Amino acid sequence: MSGAAQDIAMKGSRATRIIIYTVLILFMIFYLLPLYVMLTNSLKPLDEIRGGDMLALPKNWTIEPWRAAWSYAQIGVEPTGLRPYFINSIFMVVPAVLISTALGALNGYVLTKWSFRGSGLVFGLLLLACFIPFQIVLIPMARILGMLGLAGTTSGLVLVHTIYGLGFTTLFFRNYYAAFPTELVRAAQIDGAGFFQIFWRILAPSSAPIAVVTIIWQFTNVWNDFLFGVSFADFDSIPMTVALNNLVNSSTGVKEYNVHFAGAILAALPTLIVYIVSGRYFVRGLMAGAVKG
Amino acid sequence: MARLKIENLYKAYGATEVLKGIDLEIEDGGFLVLVGPSGCGKSTLLNCIAGLEDVTSGDVVIGERSVTELHPSKRDIAMVFQSYALYPNMTVEKNISFGMEIRGVGKSERRAAIEGVADMLQIRELLKRKPSQLSGGQRQRVAMGRALVRDPQVFLFDEPLSNLDAKLRVDMRTEIKRLHKRMGTTIVYVTHDQIEALTLATRIAVMKDGIVQQFGTPDQIYNDPVNMFVADFMGSPAMNLLPGTVVAENGGLMVSLDGHEGEMLLPLPDSDALRGRMGQKIIFGIRPEAFTDPEGADRTSTQLEKRDCFVEVVEPAGSDTFAVVKLGGKSAVARLRADARISPETVTSLAFNMGKAVFFDPDSGERLK
Repeated sequence: MSGAAQDIAMKGSRATRIIIYTVLILFMIFYLLPLYVMLTNSLKPLDEIRGGDMLALPKNWTIEPWRAAWSYAQIGVEPTGLRPYFINSIFMVVPAVLISTALGALNGYVLTKWSFRGSGLVFGLLLLACFIPFQIVLIPMARILGMLGLAGTTSGLVLVHTIYGLGFTTLFFRNYYAAFPTELVRAAQIDGAGFFQIFWRILAPSSAPIAVVTIIWQFTNVWNDFLFGVSFADFDSIPMTVALNNLVNSSTGVKEYNVHFAGAILAALPTLIVYIVSGRYFVRGLMAGAVKG
Repeated sequence: MARLKIENLYKAYGATEVLKGIDLEIEDGGFLVLVGPSGCGKSTLLNCIAGLEDVTSGDVVIGERSVTELHPSKRDIAMVFQSYALYPNMTVEKNISFGMEIRGVGKSERRAAIEGVADMLQIRELLKRKPSQLSGGQRQRVAMGRALVRDPQVFLFDEPLSNLDAKLRVDMRTEIKRLHKRMGTTIVYVTHDQIEALTLATRIAVMKDGIVQQFGTPDQIYNDPVNMFVADFMGSPAMNLLPGTVVAENGGLMVSLDGHEGEMLLPLPDSDALRGRMGQKIIFGIRPEAFTDPEGADRTSTQLEKRDCFVEVVEPAGSDTFAVVKLGGKSAVARLRADARISPETVTSLAFNMGKAVFFDPDSGERLK
């Protein structure tokens, strides 16, 4: 009897499972469809696309659109492809992410473990940076970059992104360090460690999870930024996003959809890689054992 | 090793005063326990001694040197934290040697110090492990090792046993006492557990609301409490505090309590303080072990008074039997021999050891002597 009951329960759960998986698979197809369209069409010659069927697999496979997008497509007036701009973006993103993450970690450390009179207010003001719309700061920022002699340079963009990122990186690290046992800091103080020694030797080694979160967040934001890039970059510091826009807009007669698709994938690739590589880096229980038995 | 002196110490957070004029002194090699309910300021006081909190006013003196303005690392102290505060990213060995490394102690010297401490605490086989791989008791040992290796003037312990289970706590308590005997270093120890306080201390400071209520030897604190708070806080089961009235009877002073059938009279010592309370309410305090079966009572006491009492409940606890007696309108606990013949809901003769009884003013809680 109990066996029969179990059978029914199993059947019931199997039916719901089938429904759940069907729905999940439908959603997956829905979300993957754009990527599929981009990939297949970037591997077709142009006349196949103009023939109509966007969803069909290529009849003549070709990687020519990718080569064009990367090295010789017309970007604005120069037939350089996206390569130089990709490099510009790297030179902008890497320092901006590292500096803003490091400063955010220091801010979080000070705000939680060395809190001073008015530290709450300072944190509040830093948080405000998360809510200020980009457009508002464009003109003052342009003035400041001009005054600093950084207008139109990659360093200028690094500065802008570092400042803008600081609100978020500080928020992330402050909340993470708020849960970090203060007794560890006190123990280190009694052991004679100074401000930076405590940070480097005690807090930093336990910060991997939040550092990964912060780096993913900052990398995606800075890499994908268009507005600051288009506003503050000069000819030799244009980032990838702006270049992609230029690629799509500077057509010579025909719209080369296949090249545009390839370029768009190239522009999205680094953030995808960052997600795939570091998204898996999920550290748990690093703090286990520091406190309580 | 050094004596520790705290002079008129105040600590306030904004308008909230947490410590209100603390004066304490512990001799070289002494074991001072700060005990009190949570929020009494004992941990704050310890942090002030350690230098982890700034004092508002007053002085902390270690040896002959005022350390009030010194950084924690310069005070020549070592501290064991309630949560152990082991650095999670370092091995046990690194945890123990971190302080020496920071102070620039040479490698071979560090090695020797680690080995010495590891042998003393029997943690040699744990040296390569991370804190997360240790049990509670092992973490406790490592935390003590980290303090010991420093060989400081004063050890500070902040509720070090409160995260351990009951049995381990008793073992570690003995171990701490043994270590203190062996090292002879001055110790300041914070706990809310009055048994820990009584077993470990050479001096106890009972604190409440940022004020030291009583500062004395464990014997003074237990047998000669200055007020009702100390009497009630120290001892388990707690002292019976029963309301009664002072009366004159047969030319002597007596305290009259509400017994099971009318009033029960017990003789009071003849003192001015009690005579001045004639006809007034007082609190009669007697510890459960001074209120027992006549066979189990202290035979050396000359002031045993046997009275018939109505036993409501009997609680055998293995080593003792506790009897709950209705007295003075309250439930009083008597501590009897384990094999005392006693049954609930009966009238039994119990002995009051009046030599151990204490009396308090019901309003102020102060002791009446």
